[in-house]
Amino acid sequence: MDEALSAALKELFQTKLNGVMRMYLDTCARCGLCIESCHVYASMPESRYTAVGRAEIVRKIFRRYFKLEGKFAPWLGEVLEFDDDTVRRLYDAAYSCTGCRRCMVHCPFGIDTQQIMGIAKALLIGADQEPKLLSMLADMSIAKGETIADSGAGYAEALKNLGPEVLALWPEPSHGPDGVALDPIPYGVKGARVLYVALSGSHSVVNAAAIMNAAGESWTVSSFEAVNFGAFMGDPVRMKKIAARIVNEAKALGVEEVAIVECGTAYRVMRHMVGDLLGEHGFRVVAFVELIARYLREGRIALKPGTIEGSITYHDPCQIGRNGGIYEEPREVIRALTGNFVELTPNRAENWCCGGGGGLIAMGEEDFRMKSSRVKAEQLKASGAAIVTTACENCHSQLADLNRHYELGMKVEFLSALAARALVKP
Amino acid sequence: MDPTTVSAATAAAGVAGAAVAATSDAVTAATAAATAAGGAASAVSAASSLPPTGLGLVLAKVSWFINVPGFYIALAFGLTFTILRLVKIFGSGPAPYQLAIYPAEKHPVLAALRDALGMPQVRKRDPVFWAFLVVFHLGLLGIVLGHVDILPEVSIVGEASRDMVGSGVFGLMVTVPVFYFIGRRFRSPVREISTPGDYLLLLLLLFTFLLGDLMSWGNSWTTQGFVMTKADFSRYFDGLLRFRFEDPRAYLHGTHYHFLTLHLLLAEAVLMVLPFTKVMHAFLSIPVNAVRRRIWTKH
Repeated sequence: MDEALSAALKELFQTKLNGVMRMYLDTCARCGLCIESCHVYASMPESRYTAVGRAEIVRKIFRRYFKLEGKFAPWLGEVLEFDDDTVRRLYDAAYSCTGCRRCMVHCPFGIDTQQIMGIAKALLIGADQEPKLLSMLADMSIAKGETIADSGAGYAEALKNLGPEVLALWPEPSHGPDGVALDPIPYGVKGARVLYVALSGSHSVVNAAAIMNAAGESWTVSSFEAVNFGAFMGDPVRMKKIAARIVNEAKALGVEEVAIVECGTAYRVMRHMVGDLLGEHGFRVVAFVELIARYLREGRIALKPGTIEGSITYHDPCQIGRNGGIYEEPREVIRALTGNFVELTPNRAENWCCGGGGGLIAMGEEDFRMKSSRVKAEQLKASGAAIVTTACENCHSQLADLNRHYELGMKVEFLSALAARALVKP
Repeated sequence: MDPTTVSAATAAAGVAGAAVAATSDAVTAATAAATAAGGAASAVSAASSLPPTGLGLVLAKVSWFINVPGFYIALAFGLTFTILRLVKIFGSGPAPYQLAIYPAEKHPVLAALRDALGMPQVRKRDPVFWAFLVVFHLGLLGIVLGHVDILPEVSIVGEASRDMVGSGVFGLMVTVPVFYFIGRRFRSPVREISTPGDYLLLLLLLFTFLLGDLMSWGNSWTTQGFVMTKADFSRYFDGLLRFRFEDPRAYLHGTHYHFLTLHLLLAEAVLMVLPFTKVMHAFLSIPVNAVRRRIWTKH
């Protein structure tokens, strides 16, 4: 690594040193309480797969360049300089962490390893060593925001083609804000109450459309996919641009609420980060599972118990549960579906990460994902449930892979899919 | 006062005779009597020895430097850099965005205080470690209290008492846990995440505490009872407080004085490294826990 790049990386690191980050880097006592928090370590016990082990890579660079210790006694903290090996270690740390923040629950200081990994990811971008697939996907999302005027008609046509699938689940169409009947998947409806932001797969639209139509909701679907690849790659600039597309669309349509598809990262960015990144926006952000639970509570929809056969367990997606605060709504929906609900142990804030977050699903990485999530597979197996349901696309993909790899013999279902199949007149 | 000027005769006379005059108003008559008695004993010892020369003189000067100006230097250094570090941290502002951990707490400020002071996360995951941490931190508070009580103006334990606050118990409360912390650090998996600095810091604390133990109650293990009493330490602290720059050797007697010097040296090292080590968590654990509860954010 040449000196210019090393200097550039140091400068980049400096830009990340806000007060909170300085506390995260200075406070860790290396007590080791986070060691067993990580599902990767629990499955593959190597210290580099601990929260502290990962954060120490960043801390050792911090000590080298920003602490007196790095100049006078570098051996004390085993500092690291910017070189090819350090970059490799940064990659290993950043992309073996799913950002689930289970370690943060267990840390006596509440150190956020995911944020520290944000520095690692930023440095990888600075060194042009980030996963190219993620940056390509992020750039595609941004480009879509710039060209939506050209591609909007094609998208509307594709949505129309999904209409019959929606009507098969719920036979009535949607209604606009003035009560006029619209397509089963309404698009570009100004004044709609809810803007629903889906993913690229049809399953992410069809089930939600049936549920919202059953509830008589005034809604419209977004032009954009919810997933934020900028967040996966720890790039605040791309993250902001991707989120801004949805914010601008919601403002233009004048919606009251933005409902985010079953996607943990998308929900986290839109619900908990957009305010900080883009300022006040004037609408509420909800996860779609919150909307289902609300419709049930308000009696706007009903689910026929027993439609879904077999015991059901629920995997709390980290970004929706631990990092989003949605624990009870999915359980309300499941209890409306079945009397045969079994909790995973542990659950809620203590739940094991599925192992697919942090961009790992998008990047492939199947071998690592399967090995690093052995503990998750064991947890699922121990539940004895026939069906595992969840409210996150990444988790669903990962759980399905685990189910196949570890031959768990379970069914893996989206919560919205179960609800849509059980819809009845209230 | 330059240490070389402290002759045996002046030491004897100075301690026995001038003690009452030199002692602050806050020091009681009982203290003065005890000091005078101790001084008299010292006078006998001091009168029988010659003024230090050669290596002894160098050691006396070094001891004086450690025990008096060294203390000021370490305190000023530690305080200055601690303040600078805190200014740097809190002046840098919050993160561009911040996520909380859920379930959300009804009273986030109280939750942050509970997390920082009660360490429920540690209690849940490693109760033995938690017990040692609690004892250690309570012991630290006791030690701070004990040192404050040595000041002539403060009187938690009577001035005539030969013991410090806690009678040495606080010293044990910090020393024993440090042995545990060192042992824990040498065991896997904590060993794998430890750096040389982690071990050195614990060793520094351990020897500071061990020598402190010797000061607080170990120095009573003589046939005559206490060699140095709380009143003696009180005079030393009074001298420091009033910037008298006098040689504490005049009223801190016997061979334990060398242990006091070593104790001071290590304590000064702790003060000086504090701003650059993880000991900063003493100041940061509450604010950093507040971040977890989303208290310090942009919006």
